[in-house]
Amino acid sequence: MADLIVDHVSKRYKVTETLSDEPDSGALSRAMRRFRQHPVEFWALRDVSFQVGRGETLGIIGDNGAGKSTLLKLLCGITSPTSGQITVRGRLSALIEVGSGFHPELTGRENVYLSGSILGMRRSEITDKLDRIVDFAGVRRFIDTPVKRYSSGMYLRLGFSIAAHLEPDILLLDEVLAVGDAEFQAKCLERINELHGLGRTIVFISHDLAAVEFLCRRVLLMKHGRVIADGPPADVIAMYRNPASADEPSEMPDAPGSVSLAHP
Amino acid sequence: MPHVADTSVRSPVLPSNAERTSNAPGGDAPVPDDSRPLTIIGPPAMSVMTLVRALGRLRQYRDLLYTLSHHRLQVRYKQSILGWLWAIVQPLSLMLIYTVIFSRVARVETGSPYPLFAYSALLVWSCFSTAVGTATNSLVSHFNLVTKVYFPREILPLSYVIAALADLLAGGIVLAALLVYYQIPLTIYALYSLPAVAVLMLFALAVSLVLCAVQVRYRDIGIAMPLLLQLWMFATPVVYPLFKVPAPWRPLYLLNPMAGVVETFRQALVEGRAPDVAPLAIATAVTVLVLPLAFLYFKKVEANVADIL
Repeated sequence: MADLIVDHVSKRYKVTETLSDEPDSGALSRAMRRFRQHPVEFWALRDVSFQVGRGETLGIIGDNGAGKSTLLKLLCGITSPTSGQITVRGRLSALIEVGSGFHPELTGRENVYLSGSILGMRRSEITDKLDRIVDFAGVRRFIDTPVKRYSSGMYLRLGFSIAAHLEPDILLLDEVLAVGDAEFQAKCLERINELHGLGRTIVFISHDLAAVEFLCRRVLLMKHGRVIADGPPADVIAMYRNPASADEPSEMPDAPGSVSLAHP
Repeated sequence: MPHVADTSVRSPVLPSNAERTSNAPGGDAPVPDDSRPLTIIGPPAMSVMTLVRALGRLRQYRDLLYTLSHHRLQVRYKQSILGWLWAIVQPLSLMLIYTVIFSRVARVETGSPYPLFAYSALLVWSCFSTAVGTATNSLVSHFNLVTKVYFPREILPLSYVIAALADLLAGGIVLAALLVYYQIPLTIYALYSLPAVAVLMLFALAVSLVLCAVQVRYRDIGIAMPLLLQLWMFATPVVYPLFKVPAPWRPLYLLNPMAGVVETFRQALVEGRAPDVAPLAIATAVTVLVLPLAFLYFKKVEANVADIL
């Protein structure tokens, strides 16, 4: 049974529309800019297809700009594909940025409810897990203090604790290991392994090849918006490290269990 | 069902402990016996199916709607001295100003004492203008969430509309006090205020959905909002009664659902008589027509809102 089916998905961005860092100086100058600048189309993903089976831990690797994060955004439903279709079976959560749903004026307790429900938890579920969330984060004494008075470490721990107590069927992880300190990373890995043990489907996007190899049994390699390889971690990572071989599909043995080129 | 025909996909090597949770035999074909929710993400489309699917999703996220609406109320008056009293101060001070202008300076004849006449309408109008005014910026001000987490985005404007309803209820206490002061008894017709408030909420939601979606691309909307609401108020029978509007203009005038809502609310509570049915009927008809279109438009913009913000 496949929990995630990505079926011929493409995503196009029009680049001029995302140039929003210039101050918006009104309709006239915007019209002028549009006149001067033709929108540049940019395909962040091109015809990507793959499936992730239940209980599988899939790693996705590739250079910056290969389309990994766009793919993750599409899987979450944060944005929609230009063409193609994604089917998600089960509750999906993404651990992207901890604490991003916090409101500084609210207390820790209020923020647990707020952040938990934004991530898709039911209120009753949060009430059941409140004690465990608070203890895991180690902020029991300050749980009724506004989080703007928290130290950044407490803030981070509470945010992660909420996310760690989500019980999604499918978990998406994007570079989570890159942000925290060593202890945070260890906790993350431990929790990911635990979820894997519970039979959860996990998609793990990372530049940390060692972590990918450690956690995943199957890895996708992306390049320029396409999936160029799909197979066991060791083979795909070797291919990523030595890009020359990727250009020579004939070198890859086409045997079961080996790397297959998704788009030869 | 999705068309799945990619032969490059390998059947996964499932670890033994994972098989426990799968209730179907292995294989890649989707089996519909699963109790898990099924989500299909595709390019944006405007259709009745989109509407039905979106409403289903919204239902799944009803706890979030509750939490966020509650959160609006918690946050709005944090670190302010008057706190909740602000919900009352706004319509009350406007009422005092308009009473001075329209019953002392320029006399407007109304069927009831002017303060009561004005306050009952301002209460409804403030609710509308707070709802729309705050909801318009809801997607932009939450870009941090909108670009990082998925949830049905209509919950954001909706939570502001619900919070504005709480203000209406708080301000209702002052209305009750005014009714007692002027010794105006409530009649059975006061019940007409309930459908009027229902139409108010739905129409405020429709306007909010459209404006906050437009605001994502054109921030002009947010800047023009105070002016727009001011003009709209004078196009609504808030400070003057509906019968002052020349009869030939009335059909056009009543296409503004707020006219029917305000007039019905006031007639029902303050004048204690059976309100004319036509204004509220027209307001309801317009709202019922506009709301689904507003929602579909919102969903269409929502699909790519994270790319634009």
